[in-house]
Amino acid sequence: MDDAVVPAAAPTPGTSGVVRAGAVDVLAGGRGPIGESDVSPAAGPASAVEFTARADQTEIVATPVELRAVTRRFGDTVALDGVDLTVTKGEVVALLGLSGSGKSTMLRQINGLDQPTSGKVITLGQSVDGLNQAGLRRLRSSIGMIFQQFELVGMLTVLENVLTGGLARLRGPRLGTWSYPQAAKLEALDYLWAVGLADRAFQRADTLSGGQSQRVAIARALMQRPSLLLADEPVASLDPESTADVMLLLRQIARDKGLTVLCSLHQVDLAMGWADRLVALRSGRVVLDESAAALNREQVMAVYRPVPSNSAK
Amino acid sequence: MNGTSIKDPVRTELPRRGSFWPAAKPRLALFGLLLAGLVALGYVRIDPAAMLASRANAVNFFNRVGALSFPGATDLLYQTALTLGIVLLGTLLAGVLSVPVAFLAARNTAPGRSAQVIGRAIGVLARATPDVVLAMVFALMFSLGALPGIMAIGLHSVGMISRLFADAIEQIDSGPRLAVRACGAGRLQELTAGVLPQVMPSWLATTLHRADINLRGSVILGYVGVPGLGMEMRNAFGALNYSRGLAIAVVIFGLCLGMEALSSTLRRRMLGAAPVKASRPAAARAAPTPSAAQCVVTRSAGQPSSTKSVAPDLGRYLERPWDGQRVKRLAGWCTAGFALAGALVVCQINLTDFVTVWSHLPPVLDKMWPPTAGAYGIWRLLGALMATVAVAFAAALMTLLASLIIGSLAARNVASRPSTRNFWRATLVVIRGIPELVLGIVLIVVTGLGAQAGTLALAFCHIGLLGKLMADSFEELPAGPQRALTAAGAGRLQMYVAGVLAPGRQAVVGHALYVLDTNIRAATLLGMVGGGGIGYYLLVAGQGSNYGQVTLIVAMIVAVVMALEGLTVWLRRTLA
Ligand SMILES: Nc1ncnc2c1ncn2[C@@H]1O[C@H](COP(=O)(O)OP(=O)(O)OP(=O)(O)O)[C@@H](O)[C@H]1O
Ligand SMILES: [Mg+2]
Repeated sequence: MDDAVVPAAAPTPGTSGVVRAGAVDVLAGGRGPIGESDVSPAAGPASAVEFTARADQTEIVATPVELRAVTRRFGDTVALDGVDLTVTKGEVVALLGLSGSGKSTMLRQINGLDQPTSGKVITLGQSVDGLNQAGLRRLRSSIGMIFQQFELVGMLTVLENVLTGGLARLRGPRLGTWSYPQAAKLEALDYLWAVGLADRAFQRADTLSGGQSQRVAIARALMQRPSLLLADEPVASLDPESTADVMLLLRQIARDKGLTVLCSLHQVDLAMGWADRLVALRSGRVVLDESAAALNREQVMAVYRPVPSNSAK
Repeated sequence: MNGTSIKDPVRTELPRRGSFWPAAKPRLALFGLLLAGLVALGYVRIDPAAMLASRANAVNFFNRVGALSFPGATDLLYQTALTLGIVLLGTLLAGVLSVPVAFLAARNTAPGRSAQVIGRAIGVLARATPDVVLAMVFALMFSLGALPGIMAIGLHSVGMISRLFADAIEQIDSGPRLAVRACGAGRLQELTAGVLPQVMPSWLATTLHRADINLRGSVILGYVGVPGLGMEMRNAFGALNYSRGLAIAVVIFGLCLGMEALSSTLRRRMLGAAPVKASRPAAARAAPTPSAAQCVVTRSAGQPSSTKSVAPDLGRYLERPWDGQRVKRLAGWCTAGFALAGALVVCQINLTDFVTVWSHLPPVLDKMWPPTAGAYGIWRLLGALMATVAVAFAAALMTLLASLIIGSLAARNVASRPSTRNFWRATLVVIRGIPELVLGIVLIVVTGLGAQAGTLALAFCHIGLLGKLMADSFEELPAGPQRALTAAGAGRLQMYVAGVLAPGRQAVVGHALYVLDTNIRAATLLGMVGGGGIGYYLLVAGQGSNYGQVTLIVAMIVAVVMALEGLTVWLRRTLA
């Protein structure tokens, strides 16, 4: 973490344990970190230390997401064009824009699944381009990501899919539910309970309905104990009922855990009611960035008009 | 109704296939291969008159043999178990070894371009080196018994298995894997959590399929001292105890048919286990999440946390229910475990062998180097190699012609009567169950002919595979052109040629090349049992401890196999 950019707001490491205890997972019922204690006693404290160490640098950052003049080109296509964006802790932001406007690309910059052509991405206080593989993995482990197509591993059970969210806190490869420590399994069940699917723990993931799948994906993200949640069109493949389910769940989790959420959406009305703040992209540029309460529908819809609009900020 | 006005719509209906093979080079190569096949047919002298004459031989032979004489039940059971055990352990070893090779070779998991090349090269080399040669070499290094056979099967099978494993890896859905990566999983964790579960069914099916192939090929291992049914049969024939030899051949036939049936059923189960989308239960979920009715998505949704109040005993959900799926899975694991334990017991593997093998390695390598043609001279060996290639080409051409007919008759869109189609489909299944090596041995022994009998056995047995592949490909052809031809009032033969053969020729060529590829290896093995060609020299060199010759002959075989594989891969790619 030597190469991490520590923002001014970051407190000294000594105080962090206290902060962490205050922000304890409501959904997890305050359960401790996954220990390997039931597998090998020696590994328990070590992974706990590792976990707390990670939380130190990530949880207390005042601006979990900071993009500075980020540009991303794919050949001739300019997917992101000088994007500046700062998201403060606890904010719930909806990302709008036409198809191809760069929403997915932007989210992928934030957790380092993709690198910008130019510009700087600072996530949870760390400069993403300065991270090595291990640092990137550690950063990703505190960022939950939810996808339009759920991206569950269909052959595995629901429980095992959720458990993969905790992989970063465990050492070594895992295959099969039995290979995870009991504490991890119980924690995963907590999250499954929170999304209403505890009774389906041993069902194969590819037998779930769309809404159920997305809730499992949310549980998997929770298992990471994230401080930031990225969601890429989480409800685009869902029916209205499941859409309401999932969006409400996300909002609830954000509040309960004090999570920062960045979520790309296609439904303007949904976004206006749901988010604190709306950010809209158009051909890779930020054309709207306003508190949701301060906007009316007309202003937001302008983003989708074919001709570049002057009303946009 | 003049000719042109009828033909025009037909021509427009045939999609793009009209301008097929734009380059002349692959077409020329194909023509060359066809010509080679014809020349090979002449070379092998498939001579109906001689075959008719040999019929008298056969009758004579069977009169002399009288009734089949099976070994005692215990002995037979033991030999069968030993053969199955060697095949099982060898295939399992190959499966395990193939995992890292496949991860190296697959485009989406290779750590780098050079790793990918290395992975591929290991596969190609393993595939080109016949298992019987490996068994010969390992017999020098390990104490006698099952181990050389297991190791030989294990290393040789890595060739095919690792390639199919790598194909499966390349076909996975990258989304879930990316999601696992986004969770912060490590590289190895990403593979086990995101990749392995996706490829597992296909990997198991591949391994089972290979076990099937290895059982058929295991007979030849008996010729170089690997115990089991193959060796028993060879000893019987060697002692001119034909009634015993034939009896064992019958047992191997039965075993192969049984294995084929078992493995194809299991494979269908595994790959066809497409999950049934569970319908959304109407009953209220155990969830504390609000139901849709009260769901208004707003920023201020539900001030007090509904999730906070829930503190049930979640431990009970950790008790996995004993549903049918779980029972079946456990039964599967138990069966596999028993089979493995049984195989280990019956094969009596001497673990100290793995320690002592290293001290045996240098002298063996020393014996094998330098390669030499010995008393035969290089030209004689080259001639024998040509004979083997000729057997492969001749057999491939015969298989192609027969499969075109049978495959067509078995295709839904050619044979209009279901009874015809079903009959030929069933015939193909039966043929596929017959191991070419055993048929070859029996034919050679019975008719007294060499290369001819070997070619016939090879040609016949591969009809099962090629015919099926062709029938499947024909059935997958788009129906449009045929419908258009029907509309144009084409005759049955016209329809077949223009609607099936013409658009399907690409698949036909691809499958035929595949068969030619496998034929080279099979022809070598047939040579060892008297089918003519280089195999005979290989066996004699091994038995006479002329290991320099073995090295040279193997190098020649590997070179031919790789050259041909390169050619067929190139052809298939340019024609695709
Ligand atoms: N890997 C890539 N290679 C080439 N071009 C890409 C790649 N990823 C994205 N693009 C291009 O970048 C632009 C932005 O894509 P992006 O997926 O971010 O859009 P989006 O806003 O998420 O669209 P949608 O709403 O359809 O998901 C598009 O023009 C797309 O074609
Ligand atoms: Mg997108």
